[in-house]
Parts: sequence; C-alpha cells; structure tokens
Amino acid sequence: MPDNEIADVLVIGSGASGGAVAWRLAEAGFKVVCLEQGSWMDPSQYVTRDLDWEFRGMTDWSFDPNVRRRPEDYPVNDTGSAITPFMFNAVGGSTIHWTGHTPRFHPSDFRVKSLDGAADDWPLSYDELAPYYELNDVMMGCSGINGDPANPPRSPRPMPPLPLGPEGIRMAQAFDKLGWHWWPSDSFVNSTEYDGRGACNNCGPNGLGCTTRAKGSTDVTYWPKAIKLGAVLRTRARVSEITVDSRGRCTGAAYYDRDGRVQLQRARAVIVACNGIGTPRLLLASQSGAHPNGLANRSGLVGKNLMFHPYAIVVGAFSDLAEAWKGPLGNILMSQEFYETDPKRDFIRGYSYQMGRSPGPAGTAVSWAGNMVPWGERHHQEFKRRFGKLISLAVISEDLPEHHNAVTLDDKLEDSNGIPSPKVSYKVSGNTRRLLDHGISKARQVFDVAGAHTVMVNPLLRGGGWHLMGTARMGTRPETSVLDRWGRAHDVDNLFVVDGSTFVTSAAVNPTPTIQALALRTADFIIRERREFRG
Amino acid sequence: MVTLKIALDRLIPAVDDLPGAGSLGLAENLERFSNRSAAMRSALVAVLDALSLDPGLHVSGGFQALKPEQQDEAIRTVEVALSEKFGQFLKLVYVVYYMDSRVHQRIGWESRPLQPRGFDLIPFDEAVLEKARQRKPFWRKAPS
Repeated sequence: MPDNEIADVLVIGSGASGGAVAWRLAEAGFKVVCLEQGSWMDPSQYVTRDLDWEFRGMTDWSFDPNVRRRPEDYPVNDTGSAITPFMFNAVGGSTIHWTGHTPRFHPSDFRVKSLDGAADDWPLSYDELAPYYELNDVMMGCSGINGDPANPPRSPRPMPPLPLGPEGIRMAQAFDKLGWHWWPSDSFVNSTEYDGRGACNNCGPNGLGCTTRAKGSTDVTYWPKAIKLGAVLRTRARVSEITVDSRGRCTGAAYYDRDGRVQLQRARAVIVACNGIGTPRLLLASQSGAHPNGLANRSGLVGKNLMFHPYAIVVGAFSDLAEAWKGPLGNILMSQEFYETDPKRDFIRGYSYQMGRSPGPAGTAVSWAGNMVPWGERHHQEFKRRFGKLISLAVISEDLPEHHNAVTLDDKLEDSNGIPSPKVSYKVSGNTRRLLDHGISKARQVFDVAGAHTVMVNPLLRGGGWHLMGTARMGTRPETSVLDRWGRAHDVDNLFVVDGSTFVTSAAVNPTPTIQALALRTADFIIRERREFRG
Repeated sequence: MVTLKIALDRLIPAVDDLPGAGSLGLAENLERFSNRSAAMRSALVAVLDALSLDPGLHVSGGFQALKPEQQDEAIRTVEVALSEKFGQFLKLVYVVYYMDSRVHQRIGWESRPLQPRGFDLIPFDEAVLEKARQRKPFWRKAPS
C-alpha cells in the first residue's frame, strides 16, 4: 500500500495485541497499517547464542528500557514507583522478552465488585472471552493439558505440556502432600513442532528471546500471517500524536520515520496497542482543541489506576538437586490454591504461584531473591550450595486499581525525538502487602515439605514490572471509564485500545492471553459493526 | 589495575586449583565489560576510587600494602559507604568471573553458548498428575 493511502485501520504498536488485532482485521479484508517504533529482531542473533548472555541480560538486553537504552526505547521516569516497569520495543513488542507463561483469568476476575465489593466489574464476562482465548491458543501455539480443577474446562491444548523436570516433579509432589492445587502451566512455547516452528530445546532463559522460534512471540506467530494477508508493518516509525479532525474524531497519526522525518499516516480508525504505559503516554500527548486534556480523556482517567502484579520471590535451596537450570525458566507448573477471596484472611482476592528453575552461574551469584552470594572466604561454599539447586516460587498477587497509581507525562524527560517520557507513580497497597506476606508464608510450607535446606525471600521484587495494566480502563459509564466494553473510546468512536491499559482489574495471572483475547474480540466487533471503516 | 587485581582476589578467593579472580587475569576483562555499561563503568570507577583514594589507606601505603584482613576491612567500608555502587560493582565482578571457561569447568557448567544445542527435552509424563486429577473443580462461579 502506498505511504499516502488512507488505511482502513491504523494499529500503533506491533506487540502481543497489535499482532493479534492486525491479523484478524487483515483476514477480514481490512487495509491495515501498523506503525512500530522498533525493528524486526533476528532470532538467530539472540544473546543465548553467545557466552556473555548473562552479562547482556543485565545490560543492553535487559528487560528495563532505562538500562537497555536501545535507540528505539524511550526512557521511563520510575523514580516514584515501587516497581520498575519493563517493556520491549520491536516487532513482537514485549513478547520478544516474555517467558510465554499463559494462564487465563478466572470467571471471578471479571466480577470483583459483585463478589468481593472492591474495584469494579468488567463490562464483559469470562464466557464472552472464552472463544477468543481458544482461538489465540491455536494462533500462538499452546502447550499444556486440560483438566485443571482450578479453572473452567477448555479445549484440548494444541501440544502436550512441557516436561516438569526433576525439580518440577519435586514441587508437584510437595503440593500433593499438602493437598494443595497445582497444574502444569499452559505455555506459548512449543513442546513439539507446531505451525512451521520447532520444538523448544530446553535451553532455559527464554525471556531473553528464543533462537529456535519455539516461543510464541508475535513476530513469529501473528505477523507473518497478517503480512501475507496484506497488512503493512512499518518499522522504526515512532508515533508522536494521534491526529483528529475538528470534531475530535481520529484521522490518523503523525510519526517520526527512521530518518527522523515527520510523516502522516491517515486512517479511518485507529487502534492503540502500545502497552499500559505507552498507550496513556500517547493519548496524553495527543492534545488538541477537541481534546485539551489528552485524547479520549474526558473522564480524566487516562493514565490512572495503573496496576502491576507485585511479586514476592521465595527461593528454596536443595542439597539433592542438580542442574535444575535445564528447561524453560518459568514454564513448569503453577498453583492456584489461594487464588480466590477467603473471608478468614486479612486481605481480599488472592494470588498464583509460578514455579521457576535455577538460573545460570552468574544469575545464581547475583540472585534475584535479593541476596547475592557473599564475597570473600564464604563465596565458593555458598555458591556451591545454590548452583543448580534452586527452585523459586513467584507469588503473583492481584493488584487492585487505585487512582493515585498513575502514568503522567514527565515535564523534563523525553525520548530521542523529543516526545515527553512517561512518569510512573506507584505504591504497593496494604491489601497487596498482606496478600504477599500470606503467599510467602505458605511458600515456606511448600519448600519445607519439598525438603529445602534453606529458604530465601525477596518480599517485593522491585524489578518485576512485566505486566502493565489499567490505565485506559473499560467500563459502561463514560464518567468512570475511558473505553466501552469493546475497547472503543467513549469520547471518540473511531479510536480503540487493545493492550493491558483496558483492564478493569488485574487478576493474579500473567495477562497476555487475556490481552490478546480482548484484541481479537475488538477486531470482531469492528468487522461486525463497523464496516464503514473499510474503504 | 593492581588495586583491582588485589580486590578481585579478596572478593573471589582461590579455590581448589583455581587462583582468585584477580590472579586469573580477570581485571582486564572487567575493564572491558564495564565499558559496555555506563552504570557498571560508573560503579567500577567509584569503588576503585574509594579504595585508592581513601586517606587512611593512602597514609599507610595504599590498599595494596595492607594485610589481607585489612584489605577485606577496607572493602567492607566501601561496601557500606557506597552500597548501591558497590552492589553494581559486585554484580559486574560475578558476571565476568562466571563467564570464564576455567570457572565453568570447575563448577560443572558446560562452557558453550546455550544455543543452538540447548538440552534434551524429555516428554511430559502424565503419571505425575494422578493425585491432582482427583480433585473436584473448585473454581469460583461468577454471575455472567
């Protein structure tokens, strides 16, 4: 499609949701253009091909854009946040860096207000979303096994589960002894060859990118299919503003191309898919006469109610484990024994446990449990006690929305094109703290039963802001939400948001399958109800 | 470089037949890798400056002239005074040390990139689910 042609739909951001929505619309015959500030990544060049992979994971390949500082990244002012936000800017977005651990929300997660009297209900239900979870599982490639008693039934998984390994079996048996729930994780990591992509070869740190393409990042799942259907993906195209006409309706976007020149892409509808921080940043930066406080911000809620999943990390060290680094880092099993509200506890809502394997040598010494192996005479002895002998349980807590947790525009910091950077303000609530403490206490019990000789605890993982949610929430009323039940802006009828910003509550699971299912559902709404977008 | 070499030997001392991190010749690697990360470079410079320029150490002939236990004490002083920088510096030391093939051999880590070979993927054995499968569904119902 020529650069000056009007697109039916402009998608901004090519990550988890951008890839899904672009494919679905292209399949239905829409002319889709996507603008992505990053580039295509070459899986054969990911850092696990080099001996210095651990160094690079802590520096120029870090999850943290402020550490990584690639040209396509934008700085984030997180000095006022208890949690450091993570993201990646490339075709595939943060799915390049994710581990592909893919649980679903529970039905109760959509009805927090009705069931527990807190936050708000979602304007849709689990049942409405279930078909889109199923479709997304097929498109992304899901390994797992159905029959989990903690979740509603689902279709047979396209691939069998990834192996638990000796360390996973150890923990499964401990959960069994306690009579507590556990189940093999659903993962968007191939356990067999699937859809032209190879099986996982068990290398370990899949969060650093998957050279075999066994991990379902959208650059290897949705995008090749979307492009084949005619979608245009323009890289190194950084959007500075969504443009509007005199009535305040979207007309497209202004962006900086790879040479720093300002370009315009016109479109009949705009879909924003820039993540829970990038999306409010762009909406707030898109001020106009019709939208003086930022696009679609009549409610004042754009950027408000930021949710992470605050993590506590509990690590057990075992004398009789070895080489527990073999296998995907966090795609083993999860427990949802304490997922739902229990009135006997001093907090509402709950958490999941996600099991993790041992890190590599440097990761062992540096330790994400927060206590580095000591230097000096005790160093080698302590390293030996840990290396290849660690298992972690991450407590993934539900984070309830709070108005003061917010993304705003920084008045000084900006990216390389002069676009204001996001400023993140975030505090961990009392409910979350009590919930995490409960999770830590129960994890200690599991490790005791499993036979750990030492348990180490990081009560709050500062570097754990993988999940960015809530900053352009859905709802039924324009006064209390930014988007309607289809992800369409209340204020602008040809503007949609499809990333984690749309979330009303966070649940206590990794959010990406839900983000993608919502994106597919929004696409189907456009296909069904908004045919006029097609030129 | 001498101060760094001695400090490295104190931080990660000799073990079995391996000399300490400094005597392994890792000071140069540390310098090289620190140049790839502004934060780590800044931490390295700050810690070395603190060890080299401390007035008390200077008067007594510098860090290198101290007895080993005094060197440890000096490092501990810097660790407390510059805790964040020291933490970053120590991270750099550990990463560079545990990247070395001689260290890999000693700790039993195959000294090769993880890819393309990876490790064997053994198929999932459903027998492990026997007990978990006996549990009745317990997910909470919600109004639609």
